[in-house]
Amino acid sequence: MSVLTADRVQEVLRKGGSARLDEKVLAKFKPGDQVRARNINPIGHTRLPRYARDKHGVIDCDHGVFVFPDAHAATGEKTGQHLYSVCFSAAALWGEDATRPDDLVHIDLFESYLLADE
Amino acid sequence: MNGAHDLGGMHGFGPINPAVDEPVFHEEWERRAFAITLAMGSHGKWNLDMSRYARESMEPGEYLSTSYYEHWIHGLELLLLEKGFLTEDEIQQRMTDIATQEKT
Repeated sequence: MSVLTADRVQEVLRKGGSARLDEKVLAKFKPGDQVRARNINPIGHTRLPRYARDKHGVIDCDHGVFVFPDAHAATGEKTGQHLYSVCFSAAALWGEDATRPDDLVHIDLFESYLLADE
Repeated sequence: MNGAHDLGGMHGFGPINPAVDEPVFHEEWERRAFAITLAMGSHGKWNLDMSRYARESMEPGEYLSTSYYEHWIHGLELLLLEKGFLTEDEIQQRMTDIATQEKT
């Protein structure tokens, strides 16, 4: 069992921790692709916020491969997935009568949260 | 999980007004809560996402009426219980001891 001793705290905190994985995983989406967030309601951990579920957006960029937190929280297993910045209009999220329907919301979402939009 | 932490889009909380020059810790116990969480996390019996899940699993009414580091301590207690580091009785006993000390 590893122990964090007082003399190492500064170093550990400065270094931080990244969830980025150095793995080659084929990306399902590319910037510009139309997607829809899945409607999932798992009892476990998820990083897909409720207000984005079943909403239509566009892939803005691909951040690369990261540890999928839903599985990591459940089993500790580090499975790599592409993480995308997905752009949603306020109108898509809150309806056409949103205060500012043209505002854009970018949400970092894992590939398995997303479906290709037909 | 659909817990109280997932606040996006909810009404009634009012505007977000970040405090100017807010201290890192508001109370001395928050400093301890942070340190203990960090120290206990370093042994590798759980990971960051498990810690987040433990905090999210707080009863929604309690979650919304307690502070950030109270969420941290709740999550830590849950993990310590789950992984067998502590028992419910030991936590209760310690709380009783501290309450007694404070009275005297």
